[in-house]
Amino acid sequence: MNLTIAGLTARALLGRRRILLLIPMPAVLIGLTLVGVSTGEPAQQWAPTILGQLGLGVILPLTALIVGSSVLGLEIEDGTITHILAKPLPRREIVVAKLVVAWAVTTVTTAVPIGIAGMIAGSTGLGAGLALGAAVGALAYTAFFLALSLMSRRPVAVGLVYIMLWENLLVQFVSGARALSIQQYSLTLADRLSGDTVLLESTLSTVTAAILAAAFVAIGTVIATQRLRSFALTGETS
Amino acid sequence: MPEASGVIHDIGYQRYNGPRLSRRYSTWSIYVHSLRSAFGLGRTAKAKVLPAGMFALACLASLIIVIVSSQLPEPILTYVGLVSTFTYAITAFAAIVAPELASRDLRNSLLPLYFSRPPHRTNYALAKFGALATAVFVMFAGPLLIMFIGLAFSSGGIGDVVVELVDLAPGITAALIHAIVIAAIALPLASLTGRRVFATGMIIAVFLLSAPISGALQSFSSGDAAYLAGLLNPVNLLNGVDEWLFGTTEDLTLIGRYGSIYGVAALLIAVLGITLLMWRYKKVKA
Repeated sequence: MNLTIAGLTARALLGRRRILLLIPMPAVLIGLTLVGVSTGEPAQQWAPTILGQLGLGVILPLTALIVGSSVLGLEIEDGTITHILAKPLPRREIVVAKLVVAWAVTTVTTAVPIGIAGMIAGSTGLGAGLALGAAVGALAYTAFFLALSLMSRRPVAVGLVYIMLWENLLVQFVSGARALSIQQYSLTLADRLSGDTVLLESTLSTVTAAILAAAFVAIGTVIATQRLRSFALTGETS
Repeated sequence: MPEASGVIHDIGYQRYNGPRLSRRYSTWSIYVHSLRSAFGLGRTAKAKVLPAGMFALACLASLIIVIVSSQLPEPILTYVGLVSTFTYAITAFAAIVAPELASRDLRNSLLPLYFSRPPHRTNYALAKFGALATAVFVMFAGPLLIMFIGLAFSSGGIGDVVVELVDLAPGITAALIHAIVIAAIALPLASLTGRRVFATGMIIAVFLLSAPISGALQSFSSGDAAYLAGLLNPVNLLNGVDEWLFGTTEDLTLIGRYGSIYGVAALLIAVLGITLLMWRYKKVKA
């Protein structure tokens, strides 16, 4: 963990008006939850859609995709990565610093609003469980997308295919695909940590989810470090 | 004061007196080039992997549907049903390809080169729009064609081919409508930024976020308001249009009696998207 790199990354990510782009999605989430509460309908009817599908299913992976693939991806695209690589720093430190910043930003902009929405919709327990589940999911997602930004020249496109086709489409038809879906890990953990409420539907066991999420983080970090060790700077795909 | 000694030599530059190709020709060239680059044709193998892979996946899914259908008395999906089912996955394709067409030119500051030549800014915008719509249409047409071949030639009678051909026509029409509306949503967003990361993010945020939002609004409300909440989700809107145009009268699950509103909304999105795109390229710095 290198604070200088972390600071530079945070500034590049949040500098100027870019941070404003991250605000609408949490605002929509909390707004819809407030509307749901004010209609007086039972929470079982709308909470799974808003908290599960919108919160953990779309807002969390989408934010993690943009943030996780741009902490290193933008530097690679601009060529400024050479300035970092030329410094006498272990590659591991660079990757960890980038990952921590990406995770922190994703957690603050998604896990916290999802937790607040859970608190409004149900109880403090539900809110805390959702926030923790989302935070774990954010770490796994950002580690995965960070590694992806070093493996592919078009990390967002590949990540998008993963989110839309694997997590949201294939999982509906092939239940085995759940084992490799980060969305299911955060859903399962949120469900168990909030005390098995009926508002979330989880399918994996807690231990499986925790182990696989940890594996995603570990493998993502190791691959990113390896790729950065022998990094060849080339232009855009022609 | 010394005598002026400068001389202008005639080194034989000549005016071009040959035929000049029309504006339509250059617009057509932009269209063809954009359509080819949408699928990575004429570019490196790496650029082909993703679009070609998605096209192959769509065709494979269609093939599986045909094989399953051939074992059953009735096909599990109609041609229109196939288009409706594939729309969600194909929005991902549009989100990947639209920035490829619009954002790269912005990022590499190529627009001044285009606009200093015969095509107008409007021509450029329309050519790009046409290319994206065609690319999306091809993504629908491939699976449709496989399904048609599978269903029409499985029994061998020439009558079957004609029957299937008649059934295919609504499918093609639906695919055209879907392609135009999807392109009209994706391309104006992509033309806002030169960064492909953010362009893809914006497009996909619109497609992905609208589904649960409209789903939540549907669960809040009942009856007529629930049917209208479906308008917020582009995929749902398009499937509603399919039901309105080609659906049988019994199963109007999505639209209720608001079919015409779905049709008008789709038309409105298409017109608005193209207008915004042309307006954007009128204003863009070049």
